[in-house]
Amino acid sequence: MAGIVVKGRFPRRRIAQVVIANVCRYLFMGAARNWARNISSTAPALGSMTLLLLMSGLIGLSGLALYNLEQVEAAQASVLHVYLRDNAASANVDALWDRLASDRRVASVTYVTKAEALVRAQHMPGLPQLADASESNPFPASLDVHVKSIGDVAGIDAMVLYDPAVDPVYPTSYDKGAYQRIQAVLFGVGLAGLAFVGLLGFVAVTVTINSIRAAIHSRRDEVSIMQLVGAPRWMVRGPFVVEGAITGGLAGAAAGLVTFGLAAAGMAAGSGSFSQFAPGITVWVAAGTAAIVFATGLGLGSGSSLVSLRRHLES
Amino acid sequence: MRAARPIVEFFGVTRAYGSRIALDDVSLALEPGELAFLVGPSGAGKTTLLKLINREIRPTRGEVWVDGIAAHTLKASQVARLRRRVGVVFQDYKLLPRLTAKENIALALQVGDLRVSDEEASERALDALEAVGLGDRGKAFPHQLSGGQQQRVAVARAVVSQPALLVADEPTGNLDLETSWEMMDLFGDIASFGTTVLIATHNVEIVTRLQRRVLTLVDGRLVRDQPSGRTGRLAWLASS
Repeated sequence: MAGIVVKGRFPRRRIAQVVIANVCRYLFMGAARNWARNISSTAPALGSMTLLLLMSGLIGLSGLALYNLEQVEAAQASVLHVYLRDNAASANVDALWDRLASDRRVASVTYVTKAEALVRAQHMPGLPQLADASESNPFPASLDVHVKSIGDVAGIDAMVLYDPAVDPVYPTSYDKGAYQRIQAVLFGVGLAGLAFVGLLGFVAVTVTINSIRAAIHSRRDEVSIMQLVGAPRWMVRGPFVVEGAITGGLAGAAAGLVTFGLAAAGMAAGSGSFSQFAPGITVWVAAGTAAIVFATGLGLGSGSSLVSLRRHLES
Repeated sequence: MRAARPIVEFFGVTRAYGSRIALDDVSLALEPGELAFLVGPSGAGKTTLLKLINREIRPTRGEVWVDGIAAHTLKASQVARLRRRVGVVFQDYKLLPRLTAKENIALALQVGDLRVSDEEASERALDALEAVGLGDRGKAFPHQLSGGQQQRVAVARAVVSQPALLVADEPTGNLDLETSWEMMDLFGDIASFGTTVLIATHNVEIVTRLQRRVLTLVDGRLVRDQPSGRTGRLAWLASS
């Protein structure tokens, strides 16, 4: 009679450890080994994806800065600066103030003294030099009129133009169509940026798909052996997806770091003017953009691999 | 007592590649522990039949059952389940060159069942190597082994997870006669332990001398099914 082999129950925790170890080895370690082995064929994909992600990061940050700038401009465009004569009588100024404040199109009216105008000018790009160069204060006092709707600014401008309290040479700061021009420029810049990123994205995805196809082709014997010995689909395909994710992740990490580094360098080099030209870009925003660039790299790399696998790897 | 269900069953199986019929209305059954030869001239459909068993391809018409699994309807995502029950041996061995003999066998065990630990896989791989007479060559890479030794490793890999069926496609094609006989002894031993063995071969001498069941394919049709001990003249020789 054959002997009976008595075996104790295999602890569940031990089984879980073995399964995890095997998954790590066949999925992640195998993919990392293969990625390192095929570095020469992966290099073009890595390079193009790094470039794509870097450009996307920089365009994204620039886009955010431009959006914030547009918001600032929109807020400023609804403010009409009415410059007052240096020798305007206070009764005329008060009368103009009352007339503006009682207008239903106006949200509020603020009086800005010559001293306040000078301080304000010192914080605006290009004006500090002018403010410092002159011994006397060249900036006039003004009434800052916040108009409820941008469309009504022109009407208010026409109303105050010939008022006795208003400077006849340079009555207001209103520039007809300036806001619309900014919007048009921003729209064009945004569209060009999107088209550029789209083109670069197409190139990067195509190159990555081809590099994974080359990897599949070079390992077709290995793949067919794995399939023949009963490896499940995820075990055959998974390492290729992980390889794509490694490529995308490395490209994303490099591009994210450069994006963050450039933004941080910009902030450090000229904190005053940087915040004027790129409002809203802080260290945290730059770090967040770098993280998004990294995540996009991971997704792009693994997604491109999946597309390549669907096209080039038979079940 | 109810008889065991056949390990392999073909019911009216036809496989076409475009307009060319590779296998034409084939029906057969292989019982557990049976060793059978599949013979026929080149292009007769032997490899197609083996591929159908291993669900590398699907039949154009008919049904293929392997160890109770309907291979003809099996989805791609479920193929691994079938392949874990079928060991496969090829003429060109198909060993992974960067792995040692033992690692090649352990790989087959672990990809089929992730619960197999490294120690268990190593132990069972060494047992399998012992069984094929290569207990001392576990650390050798495929290029350090002779053709016969590589084929033995391939057989060890195919049977290490104790499949119900072993299919071999021209397993002696690259071997000398003496090594071929050793391989046949090995297949005989495997069948005697209850595994069904189906060998596609051109080697007439082996087929006639072993006197096992012979299935003869000619032009995709199963023209003769000779039971063991009654092999006689091989029909495909006359037609080739």
